[in-house]
Amino acid sequence: MSIGTPLDRIEGHLKVTGAADYASDRILDNMLYGVTVGSTIAAGRVQRVDSAAALAVPGVVAVFDHSNIGTLHSFGKSSLKEGIVDEHRAPLSGDDVRYYGQYVAFVVAQTLEAATEGAALVQVTYAPGAVNITPIASDEGERNVGSHRGDPDKAFAAAAAKIDQTYRTPVETHNPIELHATVASWEGDTVTLFETSQAVVNHRNVLAAMLGVSRDKVRVFTHYLGSGFGGKLWPWQQSPLAAAAARRLGRPVKVVVTREQMFMNVGHRPQTVQRVRISADADGRLTSLQHDATNHAGMLDDYDENCSEATTYFYSVPNLRVTSGQAKRNVGPPTSMRGPGAVPGLFATESALDELAIVLNMDPLALHLRNAPSRDEGRDIPFTSCHVAECYELGAQKFGWRDRTPAVGSMRRDDMILGWGMAGCSWIADRLYCEVRVELHADSARVFCATQDIGTGTYTMLAQIASDALGMPVRHISVSIGDSSLPPGPLSGGSMATASVIPATIDACKDALHKRERAPSQETVVGYGRSNATFGVDKPKKSSHSFGAHFIEVTWQPEIARLRVRRVVTVIDGGKIINPKTARNQIEGAIVFGVGMALFETTHYDPKTAAPLNRNLADYVVASNADHPAMDVTFLDYPDYDLNPLGARGVGEIGLAGVAPAITSAVYHATGVRVRDLPVGIEDLLAPHLT
Amino acid sequence: MTVKGQEPIAGQKLATSLMVNGTRYQVEVDSRTSLLDFLRETMGLTGTKKGCDHGQCGACTIHVNGQRTLACLTFVAMHDGDEITTVEGLANGDELHPVQAAFLEHDGFQCGYCTPGQLMSAAAMLDEPWGPDDADVAEAMSGNICRCGAYQNIVAAIQSVRKANASS
Repeated sequence: MSIGTPLDRIEGHLKVTGAADYASDRILDNMLYGVTVGSTIAAGRVQRVDSAAALAVPGVVAVFDHSNIGTLHSFGKSSLKEGIVDEHRAPLSGDDVRYYGQYVAFVVAQTLEAATEGAALVQVTYAPGAVNITPIASDEGERNVGSHRGDPDKAFAAAAAKIDQTYRTPVETHNPIELHATVASWEGDTVTLFETSQAVVNHRNVLAAMLGVSRDKVRVFTHYLGSGFGGKLWPWQQSPLAAAAARRLGRPVKVVVTREQMFMNVGHRPQTVQRVRISADADGRLTSLQHDATNHAGMLDDYDENCSEATTYFYSVPNLRVTSGQAKRNVGPPTSMRGPGAVPGLFATESALDELAIVLNMDPLALHLRNAPSRDEGRDIPFTSCHVAECYELGAQKFGWRDRTPAVGSMRRDDMILGWGMAGCSWIADRLYCEVRVELHADSARVFCATQDIGTGTYTMLAQIASDALGMPVRHISVSIGDSSLPPGPLSGGSMATASVIPATIDACKDALHKRERAPSQETVVGYGRSNATFGVDKPKKSSHSFGAHFIEVTWQPEIARLRVRRVVTVIDGGKIINPKTARNQIEGAIVFGVGMALFETTHYDPKTAAPLNRNLADYVVASNADHPAMDVTFLDYPDYDLNPLGARGVGEIGLAGVAPAITSAVYHATGVRVRDLPVGIEDLLAPHLT
Repeated sequence: MTVKGQEPIAGQKLATSLMVNGTRYQVEVDSRTSLLDFLRETMGLTGTKKGCDHGQCGACTIHVNGQRTLACLTFVAMHDGDEITTVEGLANGDELHPVQAAFLEHDGFQCGYCTPGQLMSAAAMLDEPWGPDDADVAEAMSGNICRCGAYQNIVAAIQSVRKANASS
C-alpha cells in the first residue's frame, strides 16, 4: 500500500535540477516578446495613445491599444460549466479606466529589451475622473442575509456576557514567486497557450469565448505551476492579449507579468470589515452570534468574499444571523486567495471568541470545547465526520496548554514575555466533476487527467492512488496532467482536487484491470473513470468539512520591541491523508502564510491616486525563512468515506484558517493589546505605553 | 564553442566571454540584457527563475566565481571572463549535489519555482562562515523567499548536509 506513506514527490528530481518546465520557460521559434503598459490613473478615460516613439525603437513590431486590438469578447456570467473569470471585460476593450495599472497598451517586439524600452515610450493622455478608494464600513453596500436562525438580537440583548467588536483584514496580494505568464502560439485556427493556470480546463473555456473560437481550437498547458494560492485560478488579461497579438502577427508571443503588475492586474484578497456580536450565558454556552461583513470590490465586479463561510456551522449556537455586502472602489478585481471567506471570517469570529473568554474569565480552550459543533446547525444536517473537539484536546496536550497562566504578561522565558493563544479552523471538503484515463501496459501504467499540480503534490498523489488500485509499484506509474486536451479534471482550488480525482482514478484503474482480464494478450488496455461533483449540489444530506486547531506561542521583548512567532502546534482532522510528507508541508506552509497574514502583509493604496504603493517584495513583506516558527503538525486519521472511497479530503487551505487569530490572541496574552486590524504592527504594541 | 546571442537591436553590441557550467562561450550581447534574461532567453537555461527582477526574492540566485549572486541585478556584459554556475550545472553529471538530494529527501519545496535559487544559495552557504544552529541557516537563507513556506524542511535539508560534511 502506498496510500498513507510519506513518499518523495515523483517530480522532485525535475524540480531540483531545473528541468521542470514552467510557462515562462517556454521558448518557441520566431517568438516575440510582449510588454504591457499600465494606466497611471485609477479612474477616467484614455484620450490618446501615441505609439510613435515606441514604434521607432528598433525591434518593436507592434503597439496595440483599444483602437487596434481587434475583436476580443468580454466574458459573461461565470459558472463552472461555462467558465469562471473575475475580470470579465476583455483587455483594451474600451477607453474607460477603472483601476490604477489597468492595461492601456501592449508593445510587442523581437526582444524583451526592445519591448520594455518601447513600453516605456508609449505616451498616453488621460482625462482623469474622480477616484474612490475611501475606507469601507461594515454596514456598507446592499445587505445580503446569508443565514439566519432564532432571534439573535433578543438573545444578545439578554445575554450575561457579550462582545461587540469590529475586525479588519487588509488587502493581501497572493505573490506566488512565479510571475503570471502566457506564451501563445497559433497553428492555423488553433491556439496553444502555455499558461500559469490552476485550472487548465476553465482557462481553455474562458479563452475560447474571449477569442471567439470553439473550445477544441484552444489547448492550454500548465505542466508545472510556481504556485498560485488562488491568484492563478481564473484567467487574467495577459492571456487574451498574448493570444490576440500572436494571431494578428502570425508569430508566438510571450508575456510575463511583472512583480509590480501582480499587485494590480491579477487579483488580490479584498479588504474586509467585519462586525461580530457574540454572547454567552454565565457558563460560557453561546446564546447568539451575528457576523456582518463587507469587502471591497472593483467597479465592474461584485466579488463576495463570503466571510461567514464557516460562521454558520463552526459553533453550536441557537441564534445566528450573518450578512454580507460589497463596497465598490477603484481597485482591480479581487479574487479568491487561499481560504477565501473562511480565513478572514475566522479571524473575526475566533478573535471575538477569545475576547468573550476573557469577559467570562474562562480558558479559551474550555470555551471552544463547550461550543464545538456536533452537527451543521447552519444547514441543519449532520456532518460526514467531525472531530474538532479531539483537535482541541490533542493540540492542547501536545502544546502543554495546561501550564498557561491567563494574566497578561504573566509568563516568561529567557527574559522574554511569552504569549499563548489558540484558535480553531475549518474548511470545506467537496468534489468537482472528474474524468480519468489510465493506460495499462505489461508492467507500467500512465494516468491522464486535465488537472494540475500547483505544488500540492497532485502528481505523486495520483501515482499513489493508481499504484494501490492497480497493485503496481509507484515507480512504475507515470502521470500526465496540466493539459486541457486530457480527460477533464478538477481545478486546483478550494482544496478539492485530491478528493475529486480519487473516485475516477480508482474506477479507471478497475476498468483497465477488468479489460486486461478479458484480453490478457493485449499489450495495452485503456480504462476510463468518471465521477460527479458534490460541490454546488442544492440540498446535500450531509455536511463535509475539515477541522483543526492551532496553539501558538509568541515572544515579546518590549525593550527592543521585538515580536516573534516561536512555536506552533497544529492538529488537523482532514480525513485520510494520502501522503503525509506532502500534506505536512501544505500545513506548515499555510502556517508560515498565516504568520505573514498576522504580522506583515498589507497592500497600501495611495488615498489620492489609488495606486498600490508597496507593489514590490521589499515593501510588501511576506514571511522569510527567519520568520518561520518551529511547527509540530499532527493529522487525525478519520477517513471521510462519504466523500470518496479513500476517505481523503484536501489540506491546501485549512492550515491557514485560524492562524492569524491564534497569533493575535497570543499577542494579547503577552502584551495586553488586542489587535483587531491586521496586520499586527510594532506601533500597535508600543502605543499603549506612550499614551 | 560559440553561440550567437539574441541579435542586439538597440543598445550597444558588446563582445563578452563567459564560462557557463564549465563551457566557455563567446557572445555578443545587448548592453541592456540582464544576466538572468541572457541565461534564460538566449542560452535557454531556464532553470534559473525570475520572481521579481528587483533582487528581492532570490529566485534567480546563481554562482558567479563561486559566490552566490542575483542574476537579475547584473548585466551580462559585466561578466566578461567570469565563471557562472546555474542549477543545471550543480549536479556532477547524474550524481546530484548533496543539497539537491537533501531537498528531495526532506521535501524542501512544494511548487519548485524558488527551488533553483534556494539550492544555489544553500550550496554556496555551506562554504560561508555561518554558525551551526537552525536559526543560523534560517538567517543565511532569508534572501530566498519560498511563498509556499517550506522553510522548516529547507532548514532540515541543509542541516543534514552540514552534519554529513562535518562528520566526514
